[in-house]
Amino acid sequence: MLQVQQVSKYFDQRRSVDGIDFEMQRGEIVGFLGPNGAGKTTTMRMITGYLRPTSGQIWIDGLPMHEPSRRARTKIGYLPETPPLYPDMTVNSYLRFVADLRDVPARQQKLRISEMIDRLGLHGRERQIIRSLSKGYKQRLGLAQAIIHQPDLLILDEPTSGLDPNQILEIRQLIRELGEQHTVLLSTHILPEVSTLCSRVLIINDGRIVMDGNANQLDQSLNEKFQVLLEVKTRPDKLHRLLDGWQGVTTEYLSSAEDEQQIQSIQLRLQGTDDTDFRERLSLLLADARVPILELRKERLSLEDVFVKLTTDNDPEDVTDSASLAHTGIKKVADDEHSSTLPEKEDDAR
Amino acid sequence: MRRMWAICSKELQSYFFSPTSYFAIAVYVLLSSVMFYVSFVVYQPSILDYRLILGDTLFMLLIVIPLLTMRLMSEELRQGTDELLLTSPVTATEIVLGKYLASLGLLIVLVLCNLIYPLVMSFFGPLNMTLLWLSALGVFLMGAAMMAVGLFASSLSQHQMVAAVIGFVLLLVLWLMDSFLSGAPSSNLQQWLAPFSLSGRIVNLVKGVLHGPDILYYITLAALFLVLSIQVVERKRWR
Repeated sequence: MLQVQQVSKYFDQRRSVDGIDFEMQRGEIVGFLGPNGAGKTTTMRMITGYLRPTSGQIWIDGLPMHEPSRRARTKIGYLPETPPLYPDMTVNSYLRFVADLRDVPARQQKLRISEMIDRLGLHGRERQIIRSLSKGYKQRLGLAQAIIHQPDLLILDEPTSGLDPNQILEIRQLIRELGEQHTVLLSTHILPEVSTLCSRVLIINDGRIVMDGNANQLDQSLNEKFQVLLEVKTRPDKLHRLLDGWQGVTTEYLSSAEDEQQIQSIQLRLQGTDDTDFRERLSLLLADARVPILELRKERLSLEDVFVKLTTDNDPEDVTDSASLAHTGIKKVADDEHSSTLPEKEDDAR
Repeated sequence: MRRMWAICSKELQSYFFSPTSYFAIAVYVLLSSVMFYVSFVVYQPSILDYRLILGDTLFMLLIVIPLLTMRLMSEELRQGTDELLLTSPVTATEIVLGKYLASLGLLIVLVLCNLIYPLVMSFFGPLNMTLLWLSALGVFLMGAAMMAVGLFASSLSQHQMVAAVIGFVLLLVLWLMDSFLSGAPSSNLQQWLAPFSLSGRIVNLVKGVLHGPDILYYITLAALFLVLSIQVVERKRWR
């Protein structure tokens, strides 16, 4: 559906996107993550033909987007960061205008427009001036604009930014529905959005793709050492005796004890030496010592942690070596060995 | 073709809804009616002739046209709607021509406004109708060339006022091309530049003569600036 091959973009002498390389299959919903200024918008603008890459090639359904091509542009729907609306137009006349621009046949226009109004809940606002619409409705209209011509590939640049929580849920639901018919690439820096919407995640940092993989496996891949959060009710000195030096597990006390002899609830985090699950043994140990467990929870690296780990430069404790990722099928593209990882990537794609 | 018409009718709509276009037309009508009052009522000419006030109204186009064209492209750039246009199957040529056609629609309104004066004159005696229509056509052609210059200026900046000023300066330079160099020692250069001046063309227009080379000049000027605008729009992708 979409092939982005070694695409770079320089603005004057400044590098914005550097040799990005990925593919999307039909029907995928791919989340495009990255800190601000990482090159998300630039990449999307190149895919939609708004900008030309300095080098590299972009193919949409086999049609080149890196050179002037009208036909490739008919295949895409695009919602930029700020929806491209004309404030003086009414909802209806705007949709008609876009339908004309997007080559929707005149006979189908009426049908499509009413379909869009239905689908995006714009009922009763057909004759309203766009200027007077609320931000949520503007965003919906922006989405209507992107899908009115039933594009194969839908590019959404931060579709939920600036909306209130209810609107965010509505837009997400819409995107999920759209994902059933279209191939969707959406950028965001709201991480939970990715885990709920996307089947695959691309993380971009400083113009390069640093990770490409399945959203649900991301956290597992990076969670190298097994961690639990524990809350017990006991005397601190008793707990010290029990846990200090127990099977190489390191303990970190999260609550400070005032009186070592007093029975109280204590929170602590335990980290194993590797990824083996020690919860069973831990609970038996505590049960034998008659220490009541108030809470025992496996701690997972959130997508936030993954994101921070991948996008902060030169983290000495970077746990994402390719060996630990291999078993989950996630590819981490090393910054310095960019070219060397390519053959491996191609194998994976097949 | 349909895409071009879509853009044209969208622009006409926004002209219709925008206060700027009413303001610009109002200024034009107001100033030209003052001119008309001075040259027709105060001076009381012995002959009834539309051509008497033509030169003044043409000068006013110099101010009004940049006001009318300034938002054509720059508003798209400011609102971010150029992202919609440039990512849809529309070509840069269709965008520019669509907008240019809309501006010509507005020019027709301006020319019609200008016909109020001959209408008033006609109450005082017969007018030469051929001459009247010919000069109206002349004004239209000249205005059309100026609109293209304004459209080009508008594609250069995302700020409307900057676009208006650029447009005004470009038109002024074209207008004064011949008189700029009147004091210069080399009159060769002046002679060479004179044919490119807008104001030089007025002489014929005011006479009521629609000259072949003049028509060619207007069309060439319009075409030149339209091609330049198309290039500027297309270049946006190459930033």
